[in-house]
Amino acid sequence: MKKKVLSMLLTAVVAGSLLAGCGGSSAAAPVQEAPAEEATEAAAEETEEKEEVAEEAAEETAEEAGEEAAEEEKPSATVGDGSAGDIKVWVADAVVDFTAKEIEKFFEANPDYAGYKVTVEAVGEGDAAGNMITDVEAGADIYAFPQDQIARLVAAGALETVNPDVLDAVKSENDEGSIKAATVGSELYAYPLTSDNGYFLYYDKSVVSDPSSLETILADCEAAGKSFYMEINSGWYQTAFFFATGCDLSYETDNDGNFTKANVTYASENGLNALKAMIGLNESKAFQNGSAIGEATNLAAIVDGTWDSSAAQEVFGDNYACAKLPTFKDASGKEYQMSGFGGFKLLGVKPQTEEDKLAVCDALAYYLAGGEVQIDRYKEVGWGPSNIEAQNSEDVKSDAALTALAEQLTYTIPQGQYPGDYWTLATSLGDSVRNGELSSSSSDDELMDALSKFQESCESYVQ
Amino acid sequence: MKGDAKTKISYLILGFGQMVRGQWVKGIAFLTTEILFILYMVKFGGTYLSKITTLGTVETYKEGRKTVYGDNSFHILLFGILTIIVIIAFICIWYLNIRDNLKAEALLKQGKKLPSNTKVLRSLLDENFDKTLMTLPVAGVFLFTVIPIIFMICIAFTNYDAKHQAPANLFTWVGLDNFKELLSFGTQGMGMTFFKVLAWTVTWAFFATFIDYFLGLAVAMLINKKEIKLKKLWRTILVLTIAVPQFVSLLYVMKMFANDGLINGYLMKWGWISSPIPFWVDPMLSRVMIIVVNIWIGIPYLMLITTGLLMNIPSDLYESARVDGANSWQAFIHITLPYMLFVTGPFLLTQFTGNLNNFNVIYLLTQGRPQSINLANNAGSTDLLVTWLYKMTINDSNYRMAAVIGIMVFIVTAVVTMVVYNRLPSVRDEEGFQ
Amino acid sequence: MNSEKKIRSGMKKKKIFGTVMAYAVLIIISIIWLFPFVGLTLQSFRSYDPNVEYGGMVDYLIPKHFSLDNYRFLFSGETNYLIWYRNTLVIAVFVSILQTIVILCVSYALSRMRFKGRKLLMRFWLILGMFPGFLTMICLYFLLKQFGLTQAGAIPGLILVSVASSGMGYYVCKGYFDTIPKALDDAARIDGASRARIFLTMIIPMSKPIIIYTALVAFMAPWCDYIFASYVAFGHDASYNVAVAMTRWVWTNDYQGYFTRFCAGGILVAIPVTILFMALQNYYVEGVTGGAVKG
Repeated sequence: MKKKVLSMLLTAVVAGSLLAGCGGSSAAAPVQEAPAEEATEAAAEETEEKEEVAEEAAEETAEEAGEEAAEEEKPSATVGDGSAGDIKVWVADAVVDFTAKEIEKFFEANPDYAGYKVTVEAVGEGDAAGNMITDVEAGADIYAFPQDQIARLVAAGALETVNPDVLDAVKSENDEGSIKAATVGSELYAYPLTSDNGYFLYYDKSVVSDPSSLETILADCEAAGKSFYMEINSGWYQTAFFFATGCDLSYETDNDGNFTKANVTYASENGLNALKAMIGLNESKAFQNGSAIGEATNLAAIVDGTWDSSAAQEVFGDNYACAKLPTFKDASGKEYQMSGFGGFKLLGVKPQTEEDKLAVCDALAYYLAGGEVQIDRYKEVGWGPSNIEAQNSEDVKSDAALTALAEQLTYTIPQGQYPGDYWTLATSLGDSVRNGELSSSSSDDELMDALSKFQESCESYVQ
Repeated sequence: MKGDAKTKISYLILGFGQMVRGQWVKGIAFLTTEILFILYMVKFGGTYLSKITTLGTVETYKEGRKTVYGDNSFHILLFGILTIIVIIAFICIWYLNIRDNLKAEALLKQGKKLPSNTKVLRSLLDENFDKTLMTLPVAGVFLFTVIPIIFMICIAFTNYDAKHQAPANLFTWVGLDNFKELLSFGTQGMGMTFFKVLAWTVTWAFFATFIDYFLGLAVAMLINKKEIKLKKLWRTILVLTIAVPQFVSLLYVMKMFANDGLINGYLMKWGWISSPIPFWVDPMLSRVMIIVVNIWIGIPYLMLITTGLLMNIPSDLYESARVDGANSWQAFIHITLPYMLFVTGPFLLTQFTGNLNNFNVIYLLTQGRPQSINLANNAGSTDLLVTWLYKMTINDSNYRMAAVIGIMVFIVTAVVTMVVYNRLPSVRDEEGFQ
Repeated sequence: MNSEKKIRSGMKKKKIFGTVMAYAVLIIISIIWLFPFVGLTLQSFRSYDPNVEYGGMVDYLIPKHFSLDNYRFLFSGETNYLIWYRNTLVIAVFVSILQTIVILCVSYALSRMRFKGRKLLMRFWLILGMFPGFLTMICLYFLLKQFGLTQAGAIPGLILVSVASSGMGYYVCKGYFDTIPKALDDAARIDGASRARIFLTMIIPMSKPIIIYTALVAFMAPWCDYIFASYVAFGHDASYNVAVAMTRWVWTNDYQGYFTRFCAGGILVAIPVTILFMALQNYYVEGVTGGAVKG
């Protein structure tokens, strides 16, 4: 029966819309046809809608989708009436409500900026940069992004420099590393938001006896049949090995986001030691590649960041503990302290074609990245502040994960600017280790050859 | 210039002749087209067209803190192409208009009557019904398929990449530089990587097509056996993989086979293996896995298709084979297989070319990973050309090289199709049928 | 007599053995085919509430506690899940209807009418189909943007793009029309019926299976559309479809511990599509079989 109804319906619909749609002139130019097509569709939609809805009860809601969606959206929030214009803000899903609240406070405190309609959308920090670059015009006016995207964003013309009026204030209020991260060439392009994009060790107290040595951790995990997670095929986590042995990897940029010079010393004795340590880790039974607690199974220890602290507490329960990264030994028994990147989240403002709107965006971004908001944000979602005053507040200082991070940060290098290709190149190096192309049976020459290739590629990104 | 005064005026004012001769429906249609065309050129197309040779020269600059955007190379190229297409279309219409005028003139000269307006309109439902049916679909294809393809071909000849992105930066024509880069060998060159990825793409398409085909055929024959009951149940179980959206099923399968996933977890718990099997990590193994998972997706389709076809094989063929003493394997080799290959030849070809561009399976399962230090431009061991070019645009905004690879994909597909298609026995026969 | 019996019983035994083997193979195949779906379903009943159970990846199949938390979460309005679902449904319904209409129009014209440039057009479309579509997405994005059909207007935009280029998928339907004898048309034309009349009152009623096949295929495609939909709707959560929105739960670090919710959402997506597909399976078989033969 149902089949019959459906087929009859389709027939009726085809018949109906043919008359409506195909009656037009056959001699129209393409210019005219595009809108005509839409009109046809609209016409067809109208006639069909009722029948369709009757056909399937679930589609009851279908017809209002277009108009109503805007009011119902959950993770986005709207502030203001929009008489002066629209401002789009993109932040991670977790802080949408928080950001909307803060924006409301901002407009209460600054009534002279009123009249703008601010929409907060949940766009993951990783996606934000890609989306901004696809279409700057349709992108957000203010958006949060991880620092590794900054050079790419500057090159694509998606970032405005920080307002000169508050430049000195921003520079003095935030820690040095975060300012360096937000600087391309000699220009400050973004407002530091957090200073917690570093990694350290979460572990299970009942399994890991001594978190200070990689060898012990792995032995403990192997004995307990549990896993140690570290994402060695990520350019971000990988540097924990290379920087530990004293390798250098940094770039210099000009004001337009172009890379002008590369300092890479991976193809060296130090690099070889680091690579061998990575290979050794990879060949441990307990090792798993990964850095997300949500996706880890049978977990005993993981190299991860503060954003996962609540997940870690969930997984480890009473045995939750964190510490700085462990040390590892090379063949000769020399010990190295794992290093790595300390990274930052930034808040950027898109170049604007109107001065007034730019002024509001500047002020709003400065406010959202300010010290008080950073403390509140820490309280709300646990993001570690980049603001020096906020870092020194009682709440932040008593946080176990942030303390471990702070300890680790003394061994790390603040992450500067890197070309996008570096990250994928590093994944290639990590994958080569993981899939056994580079293994403990590879000769030193083979390993050195891979490192030279890596270094050459790194240097080739400079133009 | 041929024709009388009315026709001659129609050279400039489209539809004039028709209107004067009483065919106002046609006349208005032509005139409206002309007016719209002129409006389009003046208001929109003209400026873009004039800049298409340089793709813009005005740089973006700052006025105080305010940004003033200059030319947008992307828009210039896109709408320039659109405008060229519009102009060609208009010339066609203009030509139709002249021809129609001359025809009407000739008819009148012979003392015949012109078709009335109602007749013209009605013809759109009868002898000119094809125009009614085809106009919108053809226009749709032109606007949303042809123009984008022309655009992408053009991109291959520009320097549109991360450093030259509209609206803040201009890009321009660079000739064949990108093609040279693709074929450059040496440590930084893309040449080796391109051929490696190409080789895997073809290998993958071959296995994905033929393994699925034969296994699908086998399963179909198994279910078709007389002795098997509940045929519908078995088919329904298999067909689930078609019905469940791939982003759900494939993502789940991907997680299932992860190093720390369900399969490895159970195997280790049961003590069958001591360390996880690197399903998605080892280059060779991940390639095999992709082909295996694709079998899981592919068999049901092939089973459905071959089930119907198997029934079409005349049963007396089998009868006579049995009388001659052939066993079932011989019957399969000498009757079933030739028949099936003959009938499904063109289908296999489209399957093959489809698999060359099978984005979903690769992207949802591995995203082309694992990568290797031995492959340039972030290609991975399981990357097909299409997934590679997609990643190039998404991660690196390297549109120019992606466009070059896109053209290469087209060439590969077209060559395979042309070489194979004309050799298919069933194609030659079908031609006669048509 | 006796020996013949023996042979028969021997053959019978062999046959029984063959049948048992066949069933065994079928059962193994069924287990392999069903396993991921069973797994998916079981995971969807694992709670994500830390007090009950853990919502991320685990290495066991059967949840320790049965819970409907994931489904409750999807319907609670904490996310836009219902809107995404509705978006996808709207797209699927409209694409299905409009695409079927376009394909019927094109197929009829190409099958029954002989006009100038017909062969050329068919060959041209064949060649167009060989270009990888992914490259054209950025271009389509800006074209749609020109009409205001991106971000907030992404849903009509997605419908428009799928429908606009659907004419090229005429093969199967045209193949079907080709099998309807032309003599029928000629007879009707002698009786004075116009082409349109023949199309609407004769051909279409005779093409029920192919119409259902076309509509079904068109209906199923938007549920998997991840790449292009994410291009067109980016930055506007309420315009996402289920595929775009939910792949984030697996791929993006912002959504840790969403795995069971992903499974539950996936199940809800799969149910209607599967039911529809199962109900219309026979038409689908007819369509793909016909399509395979025609190429």
